Amino acid sequence: MKKIKIHSRALMIAVILSGMASILITSCMETAKISAKSGAQLWAENCQRCHNTPSPASFSHEQWQTIGLHMQTRAQLTDKERDKIVAFLSQ
Amino acid sequence: MTTVHKLSKLMACALAIPLTINTVKAQTTTVDSTLINRITALEQQVADQKSGESHFMVAGLTTFGYVRNKTTFIAPGMAGQSVKTNSFGDADHYELSPMLMWNHGNKFLVEFEPSFDGNTIGVNWANISYFAAPGLIIHAGYFVVPFGIYNKRLAAGWIDKLAGDPNGFDLPGADFGVGLSGGLPLGDMKWSYDVSLTNGLQLLPDGELQNAGIVDNNKGKMVSGRFSLLPLSNSCLEVGVSGLYSSAGDVGSSFTNANVTMYGADINFVQTFKPFLINVKGQYNRINVTRQTYFTQTDSTAYSFNNKTSSSFAQISVRPIGVDNKLLKNFEVAYRYSNYTTPQSSIWGQNLYEHDFGLDYWITWRTVLKFTYAHSHALSTANEAAGGVPGITNVNSMYLQFSIEF
Ligand code: HEC
Repeated sequence: MKKIKIHSRALMIAVILSGMASILITSCMETAKISAKSGAQLWAENCQRCHNTPSPASFSHEQWQTIGLHMQTRAQLTDKERDKIVAFLSQ
Repeated sequence: MTTVHKLSKLMACALAIPLTINTVKAQTTTVDSTLINRITALEQQVADQKSGESHFMVAGLTTFGYVRNKTTFIAPGMAGQSVKTNSFGDADHYELSPMLMWNHGNKFLVEFEPSFDGNTIGVNWANISYFAAPGLIIHAGYFVVPFGIYNKRLAAGWIDKLAGDPNGFDLPGADFGVGLSGGLPLGDMKWSYDVSLTNGLQLLPDGELQNAGIVDNNKGKMVSGRFSLLPLSNSCLEVGVSGLYSSAGDVGSSFTNANVTMYGADINFVQTFKPFLINVKGQYNRINVTRQTYFTQTDSTAYSFNNKTSSSFAQISVRPIGVDNKLLKNFEVAYRYSNYTTPQSSIWGQNLYEHDFGLDYWITWRTVLKFTYAHSHALSTANEAAGGVPGITNVNSMYLQFSIEF
């Protein structure tokens, strides 16, 4: 009896979390002010949140592509932010 | 005779000029054709080079240093006793971790980070992420469980502004399972989620917790997640909340029904107030384990306690990044206060606080030399009857640490 109770609690948390996630995902839009930001600006604003701002010269174009994906998993960047920052860093 | 001589000289000259011109011409053509052939070959090579869908790279970090400790233990009603130690490759603060990353078509990312800590070679994480849709990354394998900001974002030696870790932030650690994460715009703001389903935690005989590992200790799993909001349009502020639920008892043990809930809150603020770059970070964690009966190691006497643990840290660092002096702009000062309270009347009960003061010199954006002074004070609240040790432990430490990301 107890075991079923525990499982249903875990399930409830999972349902609530994914419910919240799906409501938020569908309501997401960015304003014109955010869309207008350049890759350089997004790089300057976002990369210093956890460590020093990396120099574009540190890695090659292909390496920045991979690092862009990696940092998206750490910093939860939006896809647009990632693409603009990687394009700026690869120049 | 002289005329003949002169004439023959003239003829020789007349013959020599076109001959020389022809030789030079011939040479130029040889040089030209070699160059042209080489250029054509290079052009072909460039044309043959495809950007490719897969990319493999190695990054990673290493941290090493020197630490001096003075530990003073004061038993109740007794004078303090001190022990001094010093060490180079101190296991807690030495690390060499190469990280292998493989990216396929910007859709898959595999990351594997083995780590040598001076004693053993372990693995920090080994997982694969699939970038399924904008704002949706699915990952699976062995990864750092999403909870708070310290473990996943700040622990690396070249990121952390102070040499040691704050106490009490090891859990929930890294675990085996699956997860979803993503960052999405919300008008001028941004929000993010990071949730996972993993094997979970294991309750030990003294009431402490550890990761169950690759083979789960029970049928229940662990759900963990962090949600964050970046309310300002320049992303300088992030606030996060975390929650976790896990069944923790070994199947068939007296802890069968034991479960753990954890909740946490975190904040991260990074902004330039010319000429200073100000960095504020903090996290609060709370762990609750359902009430259980524990047994002493010596004579199996039953005892119980309220198994609640809390830990917190608050950190500020300041770097004069905007000054003209090249030397000065690379210095950073940091201070961190941390608190760690383990359950009263358990055998590991204590109330600990620590102050850390740091002076760092940034050689490059990812290379740092740190000097840290730390003072911690721990008052035991342990259950003496069950084998706990009463008293006060003070530790003063001095670190000189170097860390680089490569
Ligand atoms: C949320 C925190 C966070 C943010 C924001 C962040 N990083 Fe990182 N970064 C990390 C961590 C943590 C590591 C260390 C490796 C790890 O944990 O996987 C890292 C490592 C790196 C590395 C070393 C190579 C690698 O992939 O590990 C580079 C380069 C890097 N970051 C670039 C960036 C850039 C560019 C940005 C801005 C878009 C950025 N980072 C933003 C947390 C962050």
